[in-house]
Amino acid sequence: MRHMISFCKPGLPVRLASLLLVVALAGCASIRLIADYDEQIDKSVSELQRKCETFLTGLERNVGKPEAGHDTNTKFYDEAKVDLSAIRVRAAAISKNEITLKQLDLLADSLDKLEQLHKGGLRREQIKPLRSAFNASFTAILKLELAKKRGESPDK
Amino acid sequence: MAKINIDELLKQMLAAAAKPFKKQWPGAKDYAESEFKKIAESIVFIESQLALGKMTPEQARLHLDVQKNASRTVLLTIEGLGILTVEAAINAALGVIRDTVNTALGFVLL
Repeated sequence: MRHMISFCKPGLPVRLASLLLVVALAGCASIRLIADYDEQIDKSVSELQRKCETFLTGLERNVGKPEAGHDTNTKFYDEAKVDLSAIRVRAAAISKNEITLKQLDLLADSLDKLEQLHKGGLRREQIKPLRSAFNASFTAILKLELAKKRGESPDK
Repeated sequence: MAKINIDELLKQMLAAAAKPFKKQWPGAKDYAESEFKKIAESIVFIESQLALGKMTPEQARLHLDVQKNASRTVLLTIEGLGILTVEAAINAALGVIRDTVNTALGFVLL
């Protein structure tokens, strides 16, 4: 209380006082508007990207053959959905992580749509734009996650 | 079926998007243009596949949804990077007054 009285003494500009009060109430020296970097999310998203890329490459190679059919590849979809769910649960446990959660939900929706397309039969030329869209999503998610390191080298 | 013109699509998309963005449009234009171009290219690809009978309307919707999801994901990253920039600016502002304020108050507030 003694501190509050001296904090509010005449002479300090009102705007500065308000800003300092907000910081004092927040109880921290620096403000965090978005979640911190999470190494596990970074690694898991990178692994899922690799899994998707391997899957799409195999699909592209074997298109038209029985091994490229949806029924022979349900394991990939099951595993990818479980992986994504685990990443989402971890991301949800970190405060101020709403943007990453939205991105993971969009990725889950794209995965569902890829499976629907696969069930109906995919042609070789249709895989390239899908791969490009998935990689754009993965890159964007990782770019934001790495930026959450805040000034540290992205390689760390 | 009329042929879709990718440049015309892009022009219409950019004009429509500029209104809700208002003052933020100059900063967002480059990112938006890049993502809208991908969506427009996707539409042209879908058009060609439909014309060749290689895709059904339902498959066309699914393809476009995947592209739209990717573009939304990219724009969400741009939003996140913007928030991080604001955060860095606030913390830099607090950082430069830290010593003055803490000394004046006689305890560590910042």
